[in-house]
Amino acid sequence: MKHPTRPRAPRLIDDGSLWIVIAAPSIWAAHFLISYWVAAIWCAKIGGSLLDVRWIIAALGLASIALIGLLALVAVRRYGGTLIIFEEITEDSRPARERFMGHVSLLLCILSAVAVGFTVIPGLVMQTC
Amino acid sequence: MTSDAFDLDDLPPAEPYDEARDKAQRERLLTTWQSPKGWRYLSDVNNSEVGLWYLLTSFAFFCFAGVLALLIRTQLAVPGNDFLSQDLYNQVFTLHGTAMMFLFAVPIFEAVAILVLPEILGARDLPFPRLSAFGYWCFLIGGVFVCGSIFFGAAPDGGWFMYAPLSSNPEYSGVGADIWLLGLSFIEVSSIAAAVELIVGVLKSRPPGMRLNQMPLYCWYVLVVAGMILFAFPPLIAGDLLLELERAFGWAFFDPDRGGDPLLWQHLFWIFGHPEVYIVFLPSIALIATILPTFASRPMIGHSWIVLSAVGVAFLSFGLWVHHMFTVGLPEISLSFFSAASEAVAVPTGIQIFCFVATMLVAKVRPSLPMLFAGGALAIFVFGGLTGVMVALVPFDWQAHDSYFVVAHLHYTLIGGMLFPLFAGVYYWYPFVTQRQTNQKAGKWSFWLMFGGFNLAFLPMHWTGVMGMPRRVWTYDVTDGWAVLNMVSTVGSFIFAAGFVVLAVNVLWPRGKHAPVKRNVWNAGTMEWSAEVPDKPWGVRSIPLIKSRYPLWDQPGLLDQIDRGEWFLPDAKEGKRELIVTDILDARPLFVQRVPGPSWLMLFAALFLGTSFIVATYHWWTVALISGAAFVAVTLYWLWTGTAHIPEKTEKYVGRGLTLPTYEAGAGSVGWWAVFITMTGDMTAFVGLVFSYFFFWTVLPDFMSTTEAMPFGWLLLGFAGVLGQWGLTVAARGQLAGRAPGAAIGALIAAPVAGVLGMAAFAWAAMQAGLDPTRHSFDATIWALLLWLSVHVALGLLMQLYTAARIWAGICTPDFPADLRNLTLYTHFLAVTVIMTFAMLAVFPLWLGAL
Repeated sequence: MKHPTRPRAPRLIDDGSLWIVIAAPSIWAAHFLISYWVAAIWCAKIGGSLLDVRWIIAALGLASIALIGLLALVAVRRYGGTLIIFEEITEDSRPARERFMGHVSLLLCILSAVAVGFTVIPGLVMQTC
Repeated sequence: MTSDAFDLDDLPPAEPYDEARDKAQRERLLTTWQSPKGWRYLSDVNNSEVGLWYLLTSFAFFCFAGVLALLIRTQLAVPGNDFLSQDLYNQVFTLHGTAMMFLFAVPIFEAVAILVLPEILGARDLPFPRLSAFGYWCFLIGGVFVCGSIFFGAAPDGGWFMYAPLSSNPEYSGVGADIWLLGLSFIEVSSIAAAVELIVGVLKSRPPGMRLNQMPLYCWYVLVVAGMILFAFPPLIAGDLLLELERAFGWAFFDPDRGGDPLLWQHLFWIFGHPEVYIVFLPSIALIATILPTFASRPMIGHSWIVLSAVGVAFLSFGLWVHHMFTVGLPEISLSFFSAASEAVAVPTGIQIFCFVATMLVAKVRPSLPMLFAGGALAIFVFGGLTGVMVALVPFDWQAHDSYFVVAHLHYTLIGGMLFPLFAGVYYWYPFVTQRQTNQKAGKWSFWLMFGGFNLAFLPMHWTGVMGMPRRVWTYDVTDGWAVLNMVSTVGSFIFAAGFVVLAVNVLWPRGKHAPVKRNVWNAGTMEWSAEVPDKPWGVRSIPLIKSRYPLWDQPGLLDQIDRGEWFLPDAKEGKRELIVTDILDARPLFVQRVPGPSWLMLFAALFLGTSFIVATYHWWTVALISGAAFVAVTLYWLWTGTAHIPEKTEKYVGRGLTLPTYEAGAGSVGWWAVFITMTGDMTAFVGLVFSYFFFWTVLPDFMSTTEAMPFGWLLLGFAGVLGQWGLTVAARGQLAGRAPGAAIGALIAAPVAGVLGMAAFAWAAMQAGLDPTRHSFDATIWALLLWLSVHVALGLLMQLYTAARIWAGICTPDFPADLRNLTLYTHFLAVTVIMTFAMLAVFPLWLGAL
């Protein structure tokens, strides 16, 4: 089979910029589900005061936020993500596209970290199931 | 020119304009793309026609559900009313909610997206036009079936969320619950079909050059929402399956006497139900995000912030489902998690609204009918959003739960967040669809009637709710003190309806003799307004290189270049409908995709599938089976004749110095992506079953100890068999690639044998342990998992034999292996399914036993 003209396109997986966009909210989702499961199983199977599992909830939250922080670092370092507000990344170039994805990923990291914080708070406040 | 040297930023100039060539090209494009005439029009698959049918049908169901709403309001107008019997009232409010959600709110997203998306993308069509048509016919048939039931007094009457045991126990609910379950499962097929179409459309059918940072906001929203459908609808399909198994065959899932739990249904329903709210909200907000820049005459402020919000909302909205279940007695710590997520989702939702407001503030917005509706939408939605923050708080929700306060809240969010933006879209895109303009004065009347009527109807409900009026109540006593407020609501609802009638008349008014509007009548920046007046069926005359978010504003002379055929694919020399498929990140052109034209096959496929679901409602299993088999046969014929043809030449010149392949297999092809996306949805439904298993394990102390253990050896054999079905398929792919088609056929025939034997071993193990699905929830869950797996083994069998036949017929070859590549992907998912099933059947109980 002859190879016709085909502009070289970056491969999705090698490039990775789509994955980094959904990575941070995925960590929020995982943290949320694990917190829910830990609480549900604790309350249904073991019971007792939540004070005993408080450290698990705090540790899970910290680990998730640390992971999200790591992703934010990747978004900044590898994709050149910035925290601009009024400026827009509209240039028609591959680096601009990468910066745009880095920027959106960075914003999602912040949102996800805030949302993880929201989930941790009740774990620290509630004392019983 | 070699492929590496090809640079989209440095294209050779277009050939000089030649009028005769232009004319000939236009003629060929027209013959290729025009709709069939007469009654054959119904066999059309072009997105502009299918989208229009979708739109009109959704609005027809909206009118139907709206009339039901007026019946409800009439019944509640005065205390002690018996305008409707209690039984009919139950059917009316159930069908009102059901039709509004399933037959209007979700399909209208698909309708608008199918109609507008390809044009915004500057594409000729979406990559699977026949799938869109199939989805439409499923929607029409299922919708008519579900709605029609009320004329026979057989409509579902358990409320739109069909809580068990009201819905699971045949003593409490008649055939209506089956109609709901099977009719809507059937419609969910069309939603998932549309989701596949739209995701692949946004990812792979963008015009060359439209990088992700240049993609219009509407496309981002479509991508996000279609993705949400894939994760939200399948758990409901799993729930529907369990509930119908209980209703039809007495399997024990929701009956507490047999280890079941009605709460399982609530979980599965709301894992669907809450994201669903955002599934209907986001696409409408997307309409505002598209309309607003046009009338502000400037790009949206915070484009990337809106993208972030859309993605953020999509994720967070999956963490809200339990806020519908705050009063069912879950641990308070669990409730707090969901309360926290419900508050968190307000953050990205707010960001979007602030971006809209900021854009309006910095620009001088041109007053217009679409903006009037958009403004009204924001006002109503913000109000509903604020009461949403209230009911997201557990203590407040305990007070307001199942009262009219909730009714008021949900209508404020849905009508403000979904309906008003949609009407803005109707007025905005009316000239795009019809090339005429609506009557602006009547439009203003329709807005103020609806805006006033809506607030008059629903604002008082906050008070009736706080005063204690429960939702869904048939009637009330004058001493309850709700009479005046209810009368006000009823008057408001009729004013609202009058406003809608004005809108409907305005939109449907025949304007054939009116002067057409000028091209790009609103002076918008997005590609759909590049359409010529009068419109042509080909979508876009030539597919341009896009270098901006608002190409019509930023790329001077673009319209003329498109019209003169200076861009890609200006011709249809072979008389085939063709699209350019581009890559996901930078939209570099990859290959030319041929899409099939009009056909009756989808209508027949939908008819047979619909019949199969409908007769299953009445437990006529033989007819259901025959009809199901006919569906399979038609689908196989459709695939055989309509997909993955070997092209007459391997490449094609598409203009501007670019020659592209005409065939693609594997991860670059649209078919592969469709399989991947469909199977992601399928996997989500399976996860719904897995959730059920662990849910029961959590709530039942003796979930696994009610029967003797299944023999491990047989389970292992079953596992090996189904894994063998996967392994042999992978081997077949290798054989074909190594140019040994005979060996590939052999492996493809051996594969299902292994799978079926494996399934038999699984079933034998379950029978050895004496598992009886009607006895206990554990038995029922195990059998449900096995049923799910066996359906997938059977599907694999069909596809393996089909692909073997394709290889034998010389359609699937070493150079053109698309069928086999797609099949292999399917079996990867099958392998994951069997691994998880084996873990739950054998590994998890063993592990627990060892603890």
